[in-house]
Formats: sequence, structure tokens, C-alpha cells
Amino acid sequence: MLIGKASPEDMNIHPIRYQWAYDLYNQAVRNTWFPHEIALKEDLFDWEKMTDDERHAVEFLISFFNPAELIVNRSIALGIYPYLKSPECHLYLAKQMWEEANHCVAFEYVLETFPIDRDKAFSLHTNIPSMRAKEDYINRYMKRMTEDTLDVATSEGKKDFIRNLVATNIVMEGVWFYSGFMVVLSFRQRNQLRNLGSLINWVLRDESLHLKFGMNLIQNILEENAEILTREFAEEIKNIVVQGVDLEVNYNKDLFPRGILGLNADYVNQYVQYVADRRLEELGIGAHYGAKNPAKWMSGATDVLELVNFFEAQNTSYEVDARATDHARKEEDQ
Amino acid sequence: MELTITKRDGTREPFNADKINRSIERACQGLQDPISMVTQIATETRLTLYDGITTEEMDRATINAAVQNIKEDIEYDKVAVRLLLKTVYRRVIGEYDNDEEVLRKKHRDMFPGWVKKGVEEGLLDARMLGTFDLKALAGALDIARDEIFLYSGLDTLLHRYAIKDKNEEAYETPQYFFMRVAMGLAFNEKDPSLWAKRFYEKMSRHEYISGGSTNIGAGTTRPSLSNCFLMQIEDDMAHIAKSVADVMMLSKASGGIGASVTKLRATGSPLSSNNTPSSGPTPFAKIIDTAIRAIQRGGKKKGALCFYMENWHLDFPEFIDWKHNAGDDYMRMRTADTAVFMTDEFMRRVKEGGIWYMFDPKETPDLVELYGKAFSKRYAEYIEKAERGELRVFKKVPAEEQFRQILVALQTTSHPWLTWKDPINLRALNNNTGTIHMSNLCTEICLPQDRENIAVCNLASLNLAAHVHHKQVDWERLEESIRYAVRQLDDLIDINQLPIAEAEHADKENRAIGLGVMGFADVLEQLGMAYDSPHAWDFADRMFEFVSYVAIDESANLAAERGAYPNFKGSGWSKGMVPIDSIKRLEAERGKELTVDKSHHYKGLHWDELREKVRKGMRNATLMAVAPNANIGLVAGTTPGIDPRFAQVFSRNKISGKYMDLNHNLANDLKNLGIWDKVKDRIIAEQGDITAISEIPPHIRDIYKTSFSTSPYAFIEVAARAQKWIDQALSRNMYLETRDIGETMDIYMSAWEKGVKTTYYLHMKPRHTAEQSTVHVNKAEAMGKRGFAAVMHAAAEMSAETMAPARTNAVAPATAIATTAVASFTGTPDVEIREAAFRTKAAESHPSHTEPQPATRRESRIMPPSDPQADLVCDSCQ
Repeated sequence: MLIGKASPEDMNIHPIRYQWAYDLYNQAVRNTWFPHEIALKEDLFDWEKMTDDERHAVEFLISFFNPAELIVNRSIALGIYPYLKSPECHLYLAKQMWEEANHCVAFEYVLETFPIDRDKAFSLHTNIPSMRAKEDYINRYMKRMTEDTLDVATSEGKKDFIRNLVATNIVMEGVWFYSGFMVVLSFRQRNQLRNLGSLINWVLRDESLHLKFGMNLIQNILEENAEILTREFAEEIKNIVVQGVDLEVNYNKDLFPRGILGLNADYVNQYVQYVADRRLEELGIGAHYGAKNPAKWMSGATDVLELVNFFEAQNTSYEVDARATDHARKEEDQ
Repeated sequence: MELTITKRDGTREPFNADKINRSIERACQGLQDPISMVTQIATETRLTLYDGITTEEMDRATINAAVQNIKEDIEYDKVAVRLLLKTVYRRVIGEYDNDEEVLRKKHRDMFPGWVKKGVEEGLLDARMLGTFDLKALAGALDIARDEIFLYSGLDTLLHRYAIKDKNEEAYETPQYFFMRVAMGLAFNEKDPSLWAKRFYEKMSRHEYISGGSTNIGAGTTRPSLSNCFLMQIEDDMAHIAKSVADVMMLSKASGGIGASVTKLRATGSPLSSNNTPSSGPTPFAKIIDTAIRAIQRGGKKKGALCFYMENWHLDFPEFIDWKHNAGDDYMRMRTADTAVFMTDEFMRRVKEGGIWYMFDPKETPDLVELYGKAFSKRYAEYIEKAERGELRVFKKVPAEEQFRQILVALQTTSHPWLTWKDPINLRALNNNTGTIHMSNLCTEICLPQDRENIAVCNLASLNLAAHVHHKQVDWERLEESIRYAVRQLDDLIDINQLPIAEAEHADKENRAIGLGVMGFADVLEQLGMAYDSPHAWDFADRMFEFVSYVAIDESANLAAERGAYPNFKGSGWSKGMVPIDSIKRLEAERGKELTVDKSHHYKGLHWDELREKVRKGMRNATLMAVAPNANIGLVAGTTPGIDPRFAQVFSRNKISGKYMDLNHNLANDLKNLGIWDKVKDRIIAEQGDITAISEIPPHIRDIYKTSFSTSPYAFIEVAARAQKWIDQALSRNMYLETRDIGETMDIYMSAWEKGVKTTYYLHMKPRHTAEQSTVHVNKAEAMGKRGFAAVMHAAAEMSAETMAPARTNAVAPATAIATTAVASFTGTPDVEIREAAFRTKAAESHPSHTEPQPATRRESRIMPPSDPQADLVCDSCQ
């Protein structure tokens, strides 16, 4: 079982019961990167030339991302990790938590590098109602997990666990973050903020894995606990996602009070709906919005392999894996 | 919402959809199904507009809308090109009221005045005015050739190579650009106008393209036309300091640099002045690494340099880690690249399980100058000395272990690149003046250097794809291109301005040039050959034999006309040798035959006659080098160098922008088969690898492989066949899916055994990439789970259906976007329209466009096929 009270056997990694979690852990380790590998300073030339609306959008996004990464961490540490008994999942989550910390520091690095009013940036997420509403939404689910203690042996406890997971992993990481990435990458598309774009590529690569893990976790828990698999609960989950999307409407208005070349609030809303549909389909709930992807250019940003001119940009597709194996030789050794 | 547009003068006017539609419509003329294209672009443009958008942003938005549809249909590429050209024409030529004839005339008639103005404003060289018959040259301009471009090529040219005005906007049209470069290289010809016209004819048809620095500098007041510099850093403080300054000056002149640090004494080696221990090469290299980072152009293009070290240096283990992404920042090179320079002696020891010794060059100062048997002999003597305790320091390690460490570093950091000292030196015809201590930044140049000489190479690349029409190679035309390119490169040397005396000296004494090729994989596709087939290898052999023969012959002709290069005496050429002859010398010294086919594949070349001609004089110390040419390959719209196609669709992360690269050859083949629309999304979902797409016939899948699905032994074979004929080297990217170090060692060992001189970047196939955005993704489906699906659709679908959740293609709830109207109107699927008012007025006003046009009349067919393949390239080096 994935959730429940840990027993002594759960302290052994072998035999591996949830291979997918172990595989994801290994891939996550290979994806390790550090913010200082990106020469962010070079983007300052672009920053100088950007319009006020463009700068506002970047500031706004970073102000959201920076605390959001820590909120995710809290949610994992207090609301997800303690209720799981699978050691494979614990391995993965330990790495994910480091990644969230790393992302937070990466955004910190952005705030240090760009001439952004840091005090203003740090207070934005509490001062702007639309941003605050998003945080409140997440905290609502998280509190249930952290301030109360769940009994995950009961159906209601299991449902609470799933609710939190959906709010943090599916809505926050899987929808909100994705629309934010699209906006930042659109600058890259217009040949601005190339290095910030590289940094976001890395964050996005990590987040894609987080989402894969979360989706696996939800699917497997549903399979192991058929009693919570009801039409009513499905509708409730759907509502959690839809609520999350609704919160984006006001947020996107504040992100783009007017608009910039290639983007405006409606456009981002449509993208959010498109991504939310995908998440709903993955949950087996089915699309709600029927929205089309307005950002066709994202195919070049994320969908295909990137060939990097090493002289021009940091190659963000490398992986660390010094443990390169030599099968032939290994067999000889044994 | 009422939209207004901010005009250039700051005033506002209401948004006029009709105006935009018309301009898009003009750009779609002559293409298939223009109405649905107009609708699509107009709709998507509208999606991104906002109140107060500027006219320029509006132009940009339209272009972007066209660009993001290229993946749906390559015809959109043409539209994007035309829209972009229009903005350039308007800026450089002025208004032409959309009248093509007016444009053509103005473009021609304004050229002499444009040159004059450029000279007056100090942008163009004064020689551009007095030397030429400007009217005649204006008459030669053919604006129709602008249609040859693919969007990514045109955008790259405008961003990277075009002269800019004060607003950093392109100051020249593409045809002015080609003519400017042609003129800028013909100053010293007896008939400058004739030769400028000839060079223009070649470049404007993309039959060859000059190297990056030449494109930037030719005809301007700053003719720094060389791309590549190779310098040896000497083991004394004054020379190290001078080298830092030299690196800065060369970087400023936009050159890419190879710098050997092998001579620098090892860590702990005593300084002669006071016997304090030296800190070794790393801190000095770090100064240079920081220096090139400081030299930036517009904040984007950093200096570019590759450090070379021979692997017998005591600090070589530290050198291996220079590119590691973690660790002490003072020990890491964040900007510079690294390459290892290996001898046959080392490779033999790897193969035979021998021990490898590392020394302090302070104690073994002659090793750096030696190669072949002479190196082996001296190396053995030093080993004996070391074992007798007569050297201050040394290290030893199993040779195989060091080779493994190199490859582990290569796999994880893409560095150091592997290059081989012995084939470079033993096959050189130009090292009569001294040993070649390194290759260059892009690993295609093999020139000697010493304290008095910073080697310089001047580059251009033939576009093989522009010489293939109707499945036939036009050899005559190719011969003409080779001869003109060699002449143009030779002309360049006398115009070139170099910032350092040592570089000036080497350039004038050797007159070294490097003519390369691009479009090799593109040509194979057009001829229907798989890259990993013996036919392709024989074709490479034939092609390079021909290029080699003609290039050598032309340089010998030029020597007869203009005199031999100053260092000719004593060179391999002066002994009647041509590159292919040097294989025997390499084999004799190595004591082992190269494992490559050594026969001739091009019939009817008179090599013996050529040997006699060469003996009398050569104009240039070197002739051929295949640069990576990722940028000029992009300009020419073809695959770079001899690399296989990276993928059928991929993105290119460039300074000038991020481009989606779609293989037009494949798209055309699939369109002809009538299956393009069926498989296009799948190709993106598969990240450009069509291997598993069963709807595509097997013979097509065999031809169109990706870099990762092509056998790495095939890349090596192509490089080895080409290397037979090329006097310098080939910049050879490697692409591997395997992460097995044993296998990787075998692959690189086989490159050495086949006589390959150098390899370049190693690209590893990523095992995990970000979640895709524009294609169908369902992770649950992929893991065989259906989540809530069972309870959601309980009654309806339980019975027959598969496990896969239904895909929602249908328009869902009413909240969504109103679509439909246009779909029935134009007959195209998938067109969304947000505001009916915006709907294709253009289409209505020109109903004639609905007539289908026969494929043969489509303008997009005139071109040499598309697509570049990118990569890393020494930006300066192409």
C-alpha cells in the first residue's frame, strides 16, 4: 500500500514495490542543476529595453513563483510525505523537496540580478488580492493536512489526502506553474531573456517530473483504495480543478493589465483552460473547457529536442550521471 | 473591446482588420489553399493583440502567427518569409505601395545611392565607391532570390550578419547584403565589377556562403574577415599576459580561438626566479575564461575559445574537470571549451592495456613539438628517466583508465572533445614551418603556430544542396562554385585586417583558407540515400574527392597567376604531394593501416597531372576544412557540414532567436504520399523521430533518421571518407543514445583507427524532457490507468470501449470559443474565430484564390530544399 502507517518493512528499499517511483527518483537525480550555471546577467541588456508592461509581467511572475515553491515544499513535508509508507516514494519526495528549494533559490537569484524592488516583490503575494487568493486556496487544503491530523485508514482521510494532492500537485504545479512557464518562455520566443528562459527550461523539466510523480501517486492510490472511487468524489475533484482555473482569471488580469507583444490576459486564460483540460483528462474526468492551445509556438519551446549552440546558450538538456555504466566489464568483474 | 494601434509617430488609429488581412493575403499569393492560411494567421494574430499595440509589434505579431504554423504546413514558412521581407523593404527601400514592379525597380535603382550613403555615414569602406561600376552591379541584383530563403535563414541573416542602422535594425536587404560581401572581397581584382558580380551570383543563390566574420565585415570600414585563430601559450609570465591581451583583441574582432596550454608548467613546478611552486595552468586559463566572458557584443555574443591540452601533462586530470558544473568556481571554465590532444602512442597504450605517464612539461619540454615515432621514442626515454627517479615529478595510470575518465567527462559535460595530434601532423602538407599544437575552436583547422605566429584561417562553405536539381548533382556548376570560392577566399587575405602582428604575419605567410561544405545530409535525402548506408559513404568519398581536386587545382592556378604563398618552400605540396598521399605516411608511422576504404570513387580526375602542377606552386598553405557552419547553414536553409539531420523536427536555441526546424524534404515526401496531415502531430509527439510511425512507409523511414537513430559508426565512416581528401579536418559532432562507457570507448577508438583527426561536441540524447505542450499528452493513459474514468462515464461507455479515456476534440461547454463559421466558409478544419467581423474579408475580395493551383506552379518549389540543421557552432567560426 502507498498510504498508511509505516511498518518496519517500509524501512527497506528492497524488494522494490513501486518501480515507477524508484525510476522517477533516479531520473530526478540525473536532472540535477544549479542556478549559477546560468549567466543571468546577460539578460540585463534585454531588461533595459523592455516595456514597463513587460517588466511588470516578469516581476509579477517571479513574485508568485518564489513563495509558491516553498508552499509546495511545506505541502510535501507536512501533507504528503508523512502519510505515505512507500520508501520509494520517500526517496523521490526527498529529491523533489531539494528541487523546490533549488527553484526558490533560482528565483531568488533572478530577483538579485534584475533591478527589481525586492521588498515590493516579496510583499506582492500577500498584497495583491488575486495572488493572495491563489495562496489561500492552497493553504485551505494544506491546513486540513497539517494542522489537523488525518487518519488515512479511513475513507475520509484518504479523500483529504487526495484533495491536497490535487490542489498542490495538479492545480498549483500542473496548471498555474505551467501557464507561468509559458509566459516566461514567450519572452525567449521573441529573443528576449534567453538566460531566464534557460533557467525556466530547467524548472519546467523538474516540474514535469513532479507532475508525473503526482499523477502516478493519485492513480495508484485510487486503484488501491477503490472505495473512494465514486462519482461524487470525482465531481468534487473536478471542482477543485475548476476553482483553481477560475482563480487564474483575476490573476491574469493583474499580470497583464494591458497586454504585451504576443500575449494578453485572455490568451493566458485560454492556455490555462487548455492545460486544465489535459489534467482533467489524465484524472479520467474528461475535459471541461474544450479550449484549444493558443500558444502553438510552445511546440518549439518544449515539445521537441533542442539543439543548442553551446557558444550561445547554456545547454539545458544535459544530465548528470557520472555513474556511467559499462555492462560488459561489470559482468567480467562479477 | 475597441482596439487602437500606436503608429510610429506616436499617434493612435483604430485597428483595421481589413488592412492586416490584405497584407497577409498578399503574402499568401500563389500558395496552396491561401484562404485558409489567411484565416489562420489573421485569427491567431488577433488573439495576441491588445489596445495600444504599436505598428511594429503588429507586424511582428503577424509574422509570429505565420511562424507558429510552419509545423502544420511548410507553406507557412513562405508566408513568414514574405511578411518579414516586407518590413525590411519598407525600412531600406521605403514605401512601394505593394507593387512588386515598383519594388523591383526601386530596389535596383536605389543601390548606388545606398552604397554612397553607406560610405558617407562611415558604415561602408570607401573603396566600395570608386572601384565598381555601381549601375552595372545594381542591374545584377535579383530581388526574386529573396524567395529562396527559409524563415529561420532570413531572420538569422538579418539579425546576425546585416549591417545595422542606429536603431539596430537591418540597414540592408538580403540582396544588398550579398552584393556588399561580394564587392568587399573583390577590391583587388583586375576587373572588380566582373568578380563582384560573379561572387554575388554564387552567394545570392546560396551556392556557397562566406564564414560569419566575413559576412559581418566585408565591404565595411572594419574588414576583420577571419574567423579562426590558433595560439600557443608559452611558459613564461610575459607571454601569458600577452596572450590574455591577444585573446581579448581577437575576441573583439569576433574571432573564435584555439589556445594550447600544454606548455605551461605543472602545479608545484618551481619558478626559476625564487623556486616557489607554480600554481599550474588552471588559474591562468581561468583569467582567459573570464576575459572572453567580458568581451560581449550587445550583451549576447560572448567571446569563444577552446583550450587544448595534451594528455601527458601532469595536470591533465584537473583539465578533465574544467567543464564540470559543480566544484570550485576558480577551477572551472564557465565559458571556454576544452579539447584533449592525443598521440597515437596513447591510443596504442589504451588498446594494449599499457600504462600512461604524465609529466611536468618543464621537465619534458620537447614532447610538445614531437609526434609519430619521434614522440614515442622520446616518451619512452622520459618514462625510463622517471622510473630511475631522475624527474622531479610524474604520475602514472592505466591508459585505459584515463581514456575512460575522458569519456565519462565527455558524456556528462560534453567536454573535452577528442582530437588526435598524430593524424593532424602526419597528414599535414603545411607543417614545414613547425608542429601543429592544436586544432581550433571548432576542430576543423590544422595550422602550425609558435611564438611569432598566431595561425589564422579564412572560411567559406559550399552548399551542396544548391547543386542538386532533379536528383542530379550538377558537377559543372559545383566546379565553378569551388573555383570562385577559392578565389574569393584568396582575395580576402589581402583585404583582411587583423588586430595582432603575429596573426597578420601568419595570415600573409601562409594564406591559409578552409573551404568547407554544408548540406551533405540534405543531399542524401534528396537522392534517396540513408546516411548509414554504404552508398552514402561512397557518395561522400566521391563528393570530397571532387571538391578536393578542384580546390587544389584552383589554388595551383592562382599560384601561377599571383605567385605561391611565402612558406610554400619545403611544404608537402612542394614535393608534389596531395592530401590523399599523406595517408601512407600516417600508416607508416603508426605501424598500422587505417581501417578505411582507400580507393578512388570519382572517375576521370587526373591526380598525377595535378601533383606535377602542385609541385610548381600553391597559392594557399591549406585549402579545405569543414566548419560546423550551423549559422550559415541556417542562412542557406540546409543541414550543417556533414552532420546527419538532428531530428525531423526540433528547435534551435540561437542568439538570433528560437527556431523550430522542420525537415522540408520529409514534409514534401509525406505530402506527396498524401499522409502529411495524418502524421504531422505524431512526428512532434515523437520528438522528430519517425521510426515508430507505422503509417509512414519503411523506405521513407530508412532515409529520414535522426542523429540519435543513425549508427554512430556511420557518422565516423562519413567523416573518415571525407577526411581522406581534406587537407585540414572536419568539425564532426557526435550524437549518442548509449551511455555505456565501454561502447563509447569503442566508438571513439574506431574513429581513431579510421584516421579521423578530430571530433567535436558530443550530444547525448536526453532521457527525460519537459512535458509537451501542443501535442496530445495523457500520462495516465501511458501508465495504463484510467483514474475516475470508470465512474465518470459509467453507463455510457463501460461495455465496448477500450481503456483509453476519450480524447476531447469536440468543442466542450458553451464557455469556450465560438468556432465553426469559418470552417464551413473556407472548407478548412480547425479554424477558430473569435470575432466574426474579423473573418477573412480578404478572402472574399479575392475569390480567385480558391482555385487550386497545380503543384508545379507553386513558387515554393523553386528552391533548393530546406532545412538547416543546427548546432553548435563556433558562432564566429561560421
